[in-house]
Amino acid sequence: MSAVGQEETQHQIDFTGNWFIDIGILGFINLMEDVYGWDLEELRNRIKNEPEKVYYGYFPFAYLYKWCSDKNENVDKELVSLLAINLEKSVLQNQTEALLNYVWFKYICKLFTNLWVENKLKIIHEKDMYDKKNKLKKQFNYTNSQKYLQLIREREKIIDELQKNHLEEIKEILKNKKLNEIGYDEIKCLINIDLNNISYPTIPDKVKELIAKIKETHSDIENFLKEEWNKIIQTENIDKKDSHFYRLPIDSGFYKNFLFFNNSAGNLEQKQSFHHMICSNFDKEEVLDRIDKTINKFLPSESEFTNILYTKLSTTIFKNQYGYIFVYLICFTYGLENYKSLGYVVFYSNDLVFTYLVNKKLKSYKEKIKLSTDPNKIFKVTWEQIIDLLVEYKSKWSLENMYIISYQRLNNQSQEGVKYIGIHKLQASILLDDKIREALNTRIQWKSANEGGGKCWLLEEFIKGKTLYPIILNHINLALTGDDHFNWAPCLYGLLAHSELQTRQCEADWAPCLYGLLAHSELQTRQCEADWAPCLYGLLVDAHIADFRGKNKTLFSDNFFDNYRALVKEIKEEVSITTFSSSLISKISDDVDTRKRVARDLYSALCGKDKNMFLNILLKNVNENKGLSSNSNFYNWILEKIIANDTSFEMYGLILVMNLLSEGKK
Amino acid sequence: MNKENTYYWQKVVGDRPISMDLRDIREAVSEGFESESPNYKQKLVYNLLETIRNNDQKEFFYILLKAINKPKKDYTRLLEQLNKNYDVMPEEAFVNFAYTVVIGIMATYDGGEKNE
Repeated sequence: MSAVGQEETQHQIDFTGNWFIDIGILGFINLMEDVYGWDLEELRNRIKNEPEKVYYGYFPFAYLYKWCSDKNENVDKELVSLLAINLEKSVLQNQTEALLNYVWFKYICKLFTNLWVENKLKIIHEKDMYDKKNKLKKQFNYTNSQKYLQLIREREKIIDELQKNHLEEIKEILKNKKLNEIGYDEIKCLINIDLNNISYPTIPDKVKELIAKIKETHSDIENFLKEEWNKIIQTENIDKKDSHFYRLPIDSGFYKNFLFFNNSAGNLEQKQSFHHMICSNFDKEEVLDRIDKTINKFLPSESEFTNILYTKLSTTIFKNQYGYIFVYLICFTYGLENYKSLGYVVFYSNDLVFTYLVNKKLKSYKEKIKLSTDPNKIFKVTWEQIIDLLVEYKSKWSLENMYIISYQRLNNQSQEGVKYIGIHKLQASILLDDKIREALNTRIQWKSANEGGGKCWLLEEFIKGKTLYPIILNHINLALTGDDHFNWAPCLYGLLAHSELQTRQCEADWAPCLYGLLAHSELQTRQCEADWAPCLYGLLVDAHIADFRGKNKTLFSDNFFDNYRALVKEIKEEVSITTFSSSLISKISDDVDTRKRVARDLYSALCGKDKNMFLNILLKNVNENKGLSSNSNFYNWILEKIIANDTSFEMYGLILVMNLLSEGKK
Repeated sequence: MNKENTYYWQKVVGDRPISMDLRDIREAVSEGFESESPNYKQKLVYNLLETIRNNDQKEFFYILLKAINKPKKDYTRLLEQLNKNYDVMPEEAFVNFAYTVVIGIMATYDGGEKNE
């Protein structure tokens, strides 16, 4: 690549193919959009025209601004617009250090005023400012520390007096009988109390006087600290030996001890680290020369890499390709969005625009989902949005190359609930069908209340490429064991609503159940609607995939290039045929208990994967009913789907069990 | 019917791999048992099911052949099928074959609903 070409690539913002870098890029875009309201196009334009301003000016402020807002600190929102106006006019283009210096002192330090002051105000006792060797700690040791110490001492004296002589009164004022020691929180409460308030008539004057004094000294410290902090904002300079005193109080669970988050870094060092990070200056910061657990908790630590015996994974190669690699890497966490029931989730495909649009759309729906009490809503909305966008974007390719990455908690010590789900082409093709997707896009209970009552998202298992049969088998078992959560009759409504089966024949059979359903509460209906259709579709999808795999031993068959259209069509046709034919089993007996007994026997045979036993039990029971035995729809279905089918007879068998149970609740 | 699921096996006497067309067998059985009394057929089915459960191929064919050993009745098509398929089969093939025979008999019970 020519030098010019390489430079151009560095300034373009696009996906790389490495998912952890790409999520970082997405995080960077999200961050800039959150703070400045720029969409992808605007960000790309700005990077193209003035990359230094974006990376050394806008980015550092946005990053720390977001950090502050996430900590629920009161952030000064006006600073954002002020920075945008002033940077727009700024002529510091190409002077990266000067740019960062300007933004750092004028905006970032200003942003941290309250946080920094409060952090210093929290020190109540002078002794806490000294280390074990009785030396002033470096975060308190600076040019004017004597004045600061004196102010702290004055306040401490009053607090001590209150503590020793008037603790009972303080307990009464604060309405806290367990109070043993007056700390920073108590001081804050005392300061905000109006002592002339009639609710404290019994408080002696001496205590009132002391509290008033605390207010005064506390305010003195606050003003003093604000003055000191404003000085550095004005002068845009800090004396090197005062650097630790002015350290920005930032910390991160994800980037523990990383560069500017490290407690040992003073204000100037933090700024310098930020600069080194943006321009990937490996010479000055050793930690930047490697890509490992330090920068992303999904990666192993350097010594755990399996290829460590051959070579170290250096960032140098990435730097040549993507100029601001660490800017992206550090934005990784902003690429994932927190959804209440799912944890942190990102939908990732190799295409930046598509990924950006999908995640943006989902974010906009997040608020709406929050208001809903239905836990399934998140799944439904998510997939609706993705598929809508696919149609809009005309890119089946994107879904076929899409991954869902999610985690519950991620820090140095633990990685909880991390999932990385890829979607196979076969599954993607099936998912593109509305009916099948809707039916599978739900959660069904598959563990009893004793085992934690676990629910399983069928779609997730499906896109993982797992078979749904064991989950549905457990689900049916719960129904068999008489779990009260299950009410199958209303599920028929779901079936009719979801499946294409609306033939007259069928309506005649299902109608009584439908009317029965109307007697149930609407809530019950909603809860149970989801259960039948997902099981039916789940089993049929499973059965067809099993058959399909049996037939197609090679991956790149004609079907592969036809996007498995025939398979999807077959599944949909199968739904209507099977729903009708299998429902005939309910005629086996009018007695609910008999049907339940047969269902239990058949279920046991299925658990043992014993086709012989299953057919024996089935036919022995059917043999008692001559009408059913000679029903051609029924016996042809049994012959084709169970007797002649050795690959997926269990799925069809389970559908029969479902039918026996559903009618049992009639 | 799904050809891919059909079991193939080598006949004990002979060298050609053979397979079964279950639909043909079912039709041949139904045709043969059409005129028998339903109660007799119901009892026969119970007996056959018992032998299949135990995977007792010898007993199954004994009962079946005894049932069709009636010169006055026309079992020509079924006999052709049996002639073609009769063998010591692998268990899976036998189960498929035997239940098809059972289904074929059951399909001819009186009072059946013919929705076709």
